[in-house]
Amino acid sequence: MSAASTVQGRVVKVTGSGLFRWLAFGVFWGYLVVRWLYQWVGADLLGMDPRAPLLPVETFRTLATTWDGTRIGGLFSFLRVAGDALPAAVTGTWLTIILTVVAMAAGLVIAVPLAVARVYGGPVTRWAALGYTELIRGTPLLAQLFVLYYGLSLSATLRELPFVGEGFIPAQAALVAMIGFTINSSAYQAEYIRSALRSVEVGQLTAGRAVGLSKLQTIRRIVLPQGLRYGIPGWSNELVYLIKYSSLAAFITVPELYKRTRDIASGNFRYFELLVVAGVIYLGLVLSASALMGRVEQRVAIPGLGE
Amino acid sequence: MTLLEFADVHQSYGEEEVLDGISFGVDRGAVEVIIGPSGSGKSTLLRCVNRLTDIDSGDIRLDGTSIYARDENELRQQVGMVFQDFNLFAHLTALENVTLGLRRVRGFSKEEAVADAHDHLERVGLLEQAESYPAELSGGQKQRVGIARALAMDPEIMLFDEPTSALDPELVGEVVSVMRDLAEEGMTMLVVTHEMGFARSTASRLTFLDDGRLVEQGPPEQLFERPEHERTGTFLRRLTELHGGIDR
Repeated sequence: MSAASTVQGRVVKVTGSGLFRWLAFGVFWGYLVVRWLYQWVGADLLGMDPRAPLLPVETFRTLATTWDGTRIGGLFSFLRVAGDALPAAVTGTWLTIILTVVAMAAGLVIAVPLAVARVYGGPVTRWAALGYTELIRGTPLLAQLFVLYYGLSLSATLRELPFVGEGFIPAQAALVAMIGFTINSSAYQAEYIRSALRSVEVGQLTAGRAVGLSKLQTIRRIVLPQGLRYGIPGWSNELVYLIKYSSLAAFITVPELYKRTRDIASGNFRYFELLVVAGVIYLGLVLSASALMGRVEQRVAIPGLGE
Repeated sequence: MTLLEFADVHQSYGEEEVLDGISFGVDRGAVEVIIGPSGSGKSTLLRCVNRLTDIDSGDIRLDGTSIYARDENELRQQVGMVFQDFNLFAHLTALENVTLGLRRVRGFSKEEAVADAHDHLERVGLLEQAESYPAELSGGQKQRVGIARALAMDPEIMLFDEPTSALDPELVGEVVSVMRDLAEEGMTMLVVTHEMGFARSTASRLTFLDDGRLVEQGPPEQLFERPEHERTGTFLRRLTELHGGIDR
């Protein structure tokens, strides 16, 4: 596994519990990446079934039968069900990640001007930005998705566009979910950024203006670089929420992680096992996201800023 | 020749009259030191010159033209400002603090800006700290970067708003010495300060403000030795006791 060797390269630097953490991340992401590559290209090249679990599921089944009625048997029974479900769950995980990343990134693009409008705008832009954020934050995310999907029939419009649902372009329902999550996340991110901008000292703005920078230049060159750094903890929080809230896309038929596992469970009635599978993957994603954001925070840290 | 002229300047915050009819001129190359009790309108007067604060009535002219007839950002490039709290851009190194304005306001290329910024940092004796962030500098060093940042814009006049008030006593000297060099090079300076050593040694003229009015104006020795107004004498005596009148 190529992922394992990169992990081993890293463990040289870390020790103790750090080693365990990197090993766990390595196994988690190693399996995900190997499965994705196998489903997209590997199975074709090898002439194998793309839905093959790549785990000794048959052995689990045999052992479960052998030890039937005992705890060990129960464990292997669990492993068999989980192993059978993993191919679909991992496919759904890809969509979960895409939904989250797109909504975070596109949400940020909308959130920055919203936050700037709230803090530095005139009365009209300020009220418009306030209205938008309060409307979005004040209504349930699920209701927003329903409005877009069922109310506005957005998917019918999107379906007509070229490339939708082909190759790596998600199908229309997933696109609707992305739009919904982007709008929702932009409002929350705007709030995080707004409070971060407020913590930039007024003197910084004055100094920028006194040098001869225009108001927009001052915001772009001085306030945002500082404010966005202050905003990283809040931003990490939003990322963690979004990973889990993306499961609401299941309710508008998007085959992401939660929907995949739920659908399997409604076929074999092994709800507990499948919820555990989904739970473990969500947990892996969330812990990875926190670790990543911690890294980002260190990477962009500036001495004396936000300490 | 008058470079900067205040003509019957009035300014108020709500009911409070901060500047109550200020009129005087500052000659090119002069070092005008403004003193006065807190709340007398000194800082406000400075902030009016680069339009960080707008005046209610009267006019301020730079080089013969009203500052209100000029583009705001162009005016601010011509008027350098140094702050009591330094206000260095906290996310930028000393060098970047200076190059930001050079690049974005004066339109220098990156190489030109770095070369010019190096010159200005050298002038304030901080070339070695070019890559340090503000948090890694002492107060005196921060203020010298602040001066370099303002000088880099090639201003016609420099405003100093209590540049040494936030400094530990032992760091005042290095900042005052940079300001003195600047005065000797012929920079026009409008300085609000309680640093009486600098006022005595370097000021072309002292202006005493109280309650938003110009009380008395004259060469430092005149105001220190034979003030016309009782208020001026009392204030200067108290200030000298606190901040020393001995040349540092």
